[in-house]
Amino acid sequence: MVRFILLLFRPFRWLIDNMGADYTQFIRILQLKLTLDDRRTKGFLKNSQNAQGKMLIRQSFGQILMGSFFGIVLILIKSQFTFYYFSHTFIMAMMAMMIISEFTTILFDTTENVIIQPLPIKGNTVSLARNAHIFIYLTLMAFNLSLLSIIIAIYKFGLLSGVIFIVTLFLNVLFTLFLANVLYLGIMRLASGEKLKNLLMYFQIFIAIFFMAAYQFGLKLVDKSHIQDMVLPVHWFTYLIPPAFFSGFTEGFATLNFDLPHLLFIGEALVVPVLCFYLSGKYLTPVFNRKLMDLEQGDRSSKVKIESSKSSLWYQLILPFFVFNASERASFKMMWKMTGRERLFKQTLLPSFGYIVIMVMVPFVSNPQSFGELAQGNKYLIFLYILILVAATLPRALQIGANQQAAWIFKTLPINSPADFFKGTIKAAFAKFFIPFYLGIAIVVCAIWGIKVLPDVIIALLAIYLGTLLMYFFDNLNFPFSLEKTAVQGGAAAFRIFGLMIPAVAAGYLHKYLLNFNHANLILIPTYLGAIVYVNRIIVYKRVTWRQVDQSNNF
Amino acid sequence: MKNNHTIVEIRNLVKYYGNHQVLHGINLDISPGQIIGYIGPNGAGKSTTVKILCGLIQEFQGEVTIFGKNLRNQALDIKKQVGYIPENAVLYEALTPLEFMEFVGEMRGLGVEQTREKGTALMNIFEMKPNLDQRISTFSKGMRQKVLICSALLHNPDLIFMDEPLSGLDANSVIMVKEMLIHLAREGKTVFYSSHLMDVVEKISDRIILIDQGKVIADGSFEELNKLSNDENLEKMFTRLTGNTNHEEKAEAFINAFEK
Repeated sequence: MVRFILLLFRPFRWLIDNMGADYTQFIRILQLKLTLDDRRTKGFLKNSQNAQGKMLIRQSFGQILMGSFFGIVLILIKSQFTFYYFSHTFIMAMMAMMIISEFTTILFDTTENVIIQPLPIKGNTVSLARNAHIFIYLTLMAFNLSLLSIIIAIYKFGLLSGVIFIVTLFLNVLFTLFLANVLYLGIMRLASGEKLKNLLMYFQIFIAIFFMAAYQFGLKLVDKSHIQDMVLPVHWFTYLIPPAFFSGFTEGFATLNFDLPHLLFIGEALVVPVLCFYLSGKYLTPVFNRKLMDLEQGDRSSKVKIESSKSSLWYQLILPFFVFNASERASFKMMWKMTGRERLFKQTLLPSFGYIVIMVMVPFVSNPQSFGELAQGNKYLIFLYILILVAATLPRALQIGANQQAAWIFKTLPINSPADFFKGTIKAAFAKFFIPFYLGIAIVVCAIWGIKVLPDVIIALLAIYLGTLLMYFFDNLNFPFSLEKTAVQGGAAAFRIFGLMIPAVAAGYLHKYLLNFNHANLILIPTYLGAIVYVNRIIVYKRVTWRQVDQSNNF
Repeated sequence: MKNNHTIVEIRNLVKYYGNHQVLHGINLDISPGQIIGYIGPNGAGKSTTVKILCGLIQEFQGEVTIFGKNLRNQALDIKKQVGYIPENAVLYEALTPLEFMEFVGEMRGLGVEQTREKGTALMNIFEMKPNLDQRISTFSKGMRQKVLICSALLHNPDLIFMDEPLSGLDANSVIMVKEMLIHLAREGKTVFYSSHLMDVVEKISDRIILIDQGKVIADGSFEELNKLSNDENLEKMFTRLTGNTNHEEKAEAFINAFEK
């Protein structure tokens, strides 16, 4: 497999050499990367012998399935241009997500620097190999996702059209990859060291939320009742939308229609990727390697920050509500600090806050006049209970991080049960990140529905807290920040969310039902409080034992 | 060798990793107030022994008694009196040394103020007082090692296990740690020192245990061992006992590999 992929690069030797890279070295580095990927066992499969290679097939299968769901919707669209427009938009959005979630790590991987930097490697070879590595994965993904679309296209618009679609897929991958490059490298020019790391983190969070918003609003804007006859009108600004380049390109060649609009699209489809490619190669990549060294040394070279040993007012306020014994307090304090500083944790958690805000806002924006009606009903329960989706990201986010081997310390300490530590951890994260966000939402809810809903706000908070605790304790008991990011992603997360929705909806409906009787909802407060105490005092010590913890962690 | 009271008693310690046997029945008795140099070639089972004794590896065969308590079922009580300094271990990078030590101290049941004072004092000895409030991620290898040493000594342990504790330290710090070890032993603490740095072991150890392929092949003070064989230093003895005598040949072959 690796060999076959490498063979595909051979015809482009002249191009690689022309871009200031050494072809032999380029192929060697690429071979190394692909071989490593092939042998990389994902975290949860670490112990299984036959994990090799299967990950890629499983991933491909998931992508094909996902692409098929999307393709089925397109089957009704008659206009060729619109069909390709949607296909390319979908692929592009998915690639962008992929670049954000996984390839930033690959692009900014500094671990191999120690090995590669001292070798006499020519100029752009390393960064070109990095990009080729990402390109291979993106291409694979683009084809998996559009497999059904290609078949539909051939069936509906003929073989020629389908083949040209495949060509434009390549162009699309190139374009997206180098657009991402231009963006990232542009940011790298702005800052360095520690600042750059933080800037990249916030940029990723922003992009993730931005795509979510674009997707949500985009769905709202399409009039789904006329999907068959839907024709995307070509305005002047259509010429600025990248997926339109590629769909215009396909339509132009497939129908042999070379009028001015199509020629414009064809021109753009060819020129823009090449231009991005040229720009990133000529102006940005040379800076890349230098900045990469910077990133690695970042923590050391930039001005060393002195951490204040004072704890914040919020910490002082919230502590008595959550912590009741000494060893729990120690871990609460430590995790309070660490969650504020671990970049991967924030990168995983913060977008979910953004998603929820957008999901809540969309109905308001698309239908503003219903605002008055809203205050009459008891829809606020939805606003409150939907926040469990945010809380649900906490347990997983807490496990991701770069401290893979740091848990040895717990084995050398005289701790009877690791339960107090795990309790302190989830409590600190919940108190530090979720409660302030919840308070913000609660204030909005109280402003719309009046102070009389305050008991409901408290009940929902208790329900979410209880749910979060259970989720954390009954997940794999990995020590905080000890899993690689890639190991936690994948289909399992989606199942978890679905599994979570059922009890959350049930809790919401129970709450709603009790509202029919005067003050009957108040009975939920002691019920949930009792359950929380029971979980924190009894269940956790039975579940979080060294035996269980040893199963998920390496020391 | 056996004193009237032993603090560590190892009987027929055997450890397998899968099918691979790492320790082939180690037997040792260790008396208090001594510095034990535990040496052996790479892969001999040094770290494995130390990790078992510290409770990091719980699956093993044989009996281990520390402070008269059984390691299998009283590990918690043992851990209270034991300090462990691993080699280049990973620390929580986002924390500062003071925060890390505070956490370790509190988990050991020491008060916050007490831990803070002790930690500051220890770090001050290593001239790291200015770094107390900086994140560990900004530290060099040697600085991290110093943090590890300080956090292992916070609770004033009676028995200290060290796995290559000098790795990454500069010359001044090496001298200082050596002095510190001698001082600790004089106070009646026991130091179990695993290393392959012969010259250091030779100078500070009261007793040297040499293991190879999971077995003890020599045990005694340097003088005692020397009487038996007349080796001029520990390095020579090590070479002879572990069966690698043709170093010169190998070095020559190494050079030849370049000239081809």
